[in-house]
Amino acid sequence: MSHHDHRRTSPIATPTDAARRDLDHALDFDPADPLVGLTREQLSGPQLERRTVLRLLAAAGMLTTAHLLPQTQRRAFAAEGGGTLNAGWSGVGEFTTLDPAQINQVLLFQIASNVLSGLTHIDADLVAQPDLAIDWSPNEDGTEYTFDLREGVTFHNGDAFTADDVIYTFERSRDPAQSIHSSVVENITGIEKLGPHKIAIKLAAPQASLLVKTLERSSGRAMTIVSRGAIESMGLEQYGLTPVGTGPFRITEHQLGQSLTMEKFENYYDPERPKLDRVVIRPIIDAEPLAGAMEAGDIDIIGGNAIPGELIDRFESNPDLTVDIVAQPGFQSLWMNPHREPFKVESFDKPVEELMKEKGFMVRLAIAKAIDRQQFIDQAQFGRGTPAYGTINPAMAFFFDESLAEGGVQTFDVEEARRLLAEAGYPDGEGFPELDLLLIPSQRREGQVIKNMLKRNLNIDVRLDPKDFPVLIEDGDKMNYDLMRLGSGGDFDPDDGLVDWMRTDSKFNGRLRDTDEMPFGYWSDAAVDELIAEQAVTADPEKRRELVREINAITSNKLASAFIYHPADILVYRNTVNFPPESRIPQLVDMDRITLSQG
Amino acid sequence: MTGYILRRVVGALVVMWAVATLVFFMLRAVPGDPIAAMLFDAGDAAAVEALKARLGLDQPLVVQYFKWFWLTLQGDFGNSIYGSRVAVSRIITEALPRTLSLACLAFVIAMVIAVPAGLISAIRRNSALDNGVTLFAFLGLAMPDFWLGIMLIIVFAANLQWLPAIGYEPLSAGFGEWLSHLILPAIAIGTPFAAIIARMIRSSMLEVMRTDYITVARSKGLGKRTILLRHAFPNALIPVVTVMGIAVALLMSGAVVVENVFAIKGLGRVLIEGILNRDYPVVQGAILAVSAIFVFANLAVDLLYGVIDPRIRYD
Repeated sequence: MSHHDHRRTSPIATPTDAARRDLDHALDFDPADPLVGLTREQLSGPQLERRTVLRLLAAAGMLTTAHLLPQTQRRAFAAEGGGTLNAGWSGVGEFTTLDPAQINQVLLFQIASNVLSGLTHIDADLVAQPDLAIDWSPNEDGTEYTFDLREGVTFHNGDAFTADDVIYTFERSRDPAQSIHSSVVENITGIEKLGPHKIAIKLAAPQASLLVKTLERSSGRAMTIVSRGAIESMGLEQYGLTPVGTGPFRITEHQLGQSLTMEKFENYYDPERPKLDRVVIRPIIDAEPLAGAMEAGDIDIIGGNAIPGELIDRFESNPDLTVDIVAQPGFQSLWMNPHREPFKVESFDKPVEELMKEKGFMVRLAIAKAIDRQQFIDQAQFGRGTPAYGTINPAMAFFFDESLAEGGVQTFDVEEARRLLAEAGYPDGEGFPELDLLLIPSQRREGQVIKNMLKRNLNIDVRLDPKDFPVLIEDGDKMNYDLMRLGSGGDFDPDDGLVDWMRTDSKFNGRLRDTDEMPFGYWSDAAVDELIAEQAVTADPEKRRELVREINAITSNKLASAFIYHPADILVYRNTVNFPPESRIPQLVDMDRITLSQG
Repeated sequence: MTGYILRRVVGALVVMWAVATLVFFMLRAVPGDPIAAMLFDAGDAAAVEALKARLGLDQPLVVQYFKWFWLTLQGDFGNSIYGSRVAVSRIITEALPRTLSLACLAFVIAMVIAVPAGLISAIRRNSALDNGVTLFAFLGLAMPDFWLGIMLIIVFAANLQWLPAIGYEPLSAGFGEWLSHLILPAIAIGTPFAAIIARMIRSSMLEVMRTDYITVARSKGLGKRTILLRHAFPNALIPVVTVMGIAVALLMSGAVVVENVFAIKGLGRVLIEGILNRDYPVVQGAILAVSAIFVFANLAVDLLYGVIDPRIRYD
């Protein structure tokens, strides 16, 4: 099922004439033309225009009216701004740091994205838009980008923003002692100041994800522009609590673990934004208090970690609330340790047909095929999410490959799964060892569903092994598990899934394992490594998409993991909150365009 | 008396040192590397090593211990190793007023319920009232505080919308604001506490009422009220006060869970977050603070004996 089936936003208007014209125009091209009627400038320009994006989607045969709807369903907003928005952040006890150099969770960069700016910022279509950079152009071989920076921008402390701040941020981020994101900028060899508001970024190799990932203000974090003056005068501890940036809101108070208050930044570069006077964000760990706070009117909107699935139906039946569901940029998997029996695989560097002859691979495949993704989503996620067969998620509409669900080897098929298990020497699960499933305590429900499915479909026993996150990460990094539940969020670019998870030396790929015992982590394929490197430097969207889909299919068919689901991104707010569609960026809660109407 | 207090304070400090030392080594024996978890997303081995060195976590455990001990003696509890590395003393001084507010209000609520309930059920023994109080006591003891907290949120915040569901406002924001945010969590923590105290008062009163001096008081024609409140109740309080000292621990442990439910960043939540993140300095600091409260509350209780019963003297 497509994520658009779930979409429930403000009352959906019939597509306007303008939208129809968009659609007609987007489809009006000659399929034989490699640039589908677009110029080189349009493809690389200061920003990919909406028309360009629509044309690319149309060329891919993926453009639907749903893509046009968010732009056409704008409500008539109460134009006047002002007021205080009370927000609750789900599943979190405190905002440990808002210093981009230290941020390690989506729920933190959701807040930071309202306070700090980047050179670019993604929009609701996951396309990079200008933020502090207003224009850019690559050189011929894509190894150097020249950026024009926005002039007249000031930090919340009154300092002017210049090219020096970009260079300071870069120097800070590339130093592992100061930033946890040094690897994000490792492809940048240097930044040259060409003028007070002009810079050149030099790359070791061309990088397709530069604008959407590395320079992006929310998920990127490495090049989210920080204030040198503020860091030096406040000290790191205070800067982490109340960072100073150039964003639409400035933090006026942060009681760690209790509440964070942001106020409108009067000198924001766009005088039209933000609309609100004040935002107060409170961390709320448990599900029931979160629901109670929403129902009591203590909070108007929920951000943070995913809202517990059991609350969504309740919120949907509440006439005072809006539940807005879109596809989330992420994937969730069941990882099988290839260095342990019964799913041992010595090497993935061979064709699928050959792997199919190995017992360990048969067992891996049997497990992947015994999981009914839709039933898992229904039971564990209360019906919300999309079955997954690879890292590339439906939020990246352009790169997402729906055909994997039909033609891939991982599709649900109990008979085939049983046959494979029998062929591997375990007819009806006989003699199959009990497996430990490593997960965090909050995933117990998911674990139970997987356990039940594997018992019922393959007659194999799974024992849930819940561990605190720091323990799970350590065991995961050391490859100390049979089965593990882990996945990724905030994946706005294919690199997030491919570079970070699917390469032999990906950062999540068993990095602390004993390399003498285990030559690779959970997965390794030399051909895939090469393809990932190639797609990362392919700037032509069409070509890159082809490569991304090819890699996605290989990792799926060779069972890098049993991919299970792409979560739904669920935003809940009171009807008095006007949350405009252009701010509906999956996994983010940008509040600069929000207005409040009278309840 | 001064000598006694001094001896007790020294004893308390030794207990706190022992607790903190135990926690220091136990925490590090627990699996889970805080730095690896923190930098999970970064995936940069150099960053992990750099951070470990900066936080001194690359040094031998014994060296870490003596460093920590020496700094703690000087009142320096270090900084959180997580996030923006806030000073532990700051985290605790921010959290302490919230936990103490909550505990004090819970204590007051518990007393307001327990004293009359205990007295009434002792006086009207085996009556319908007594049975009612007993039922309340068993219910209060049987209901887990977090569950009661959630029920209170559903009824008084979500449905009736009389009180806020979550959060904390300091006294400086106004007494009404402070009280409205604390009353539900205080009831959640105070109810089991009230149940215990009511039962204690009841049985203690029944025992005192059977003693000879009460019979004497009765036979010389004293009024019922005077006998109960002047002669019986103060004598019945000694065991109750003893239980109160222990019950401070109950209040604190209740706060750990209930603070989570009501999104109040008190000492309890500091502890939980600290343990989940393996944030060693925070857990050590919070445990020191909790053990200090516990040890000194018990010292206060011991001194209270002398006030309630002038025959008790400390030399």
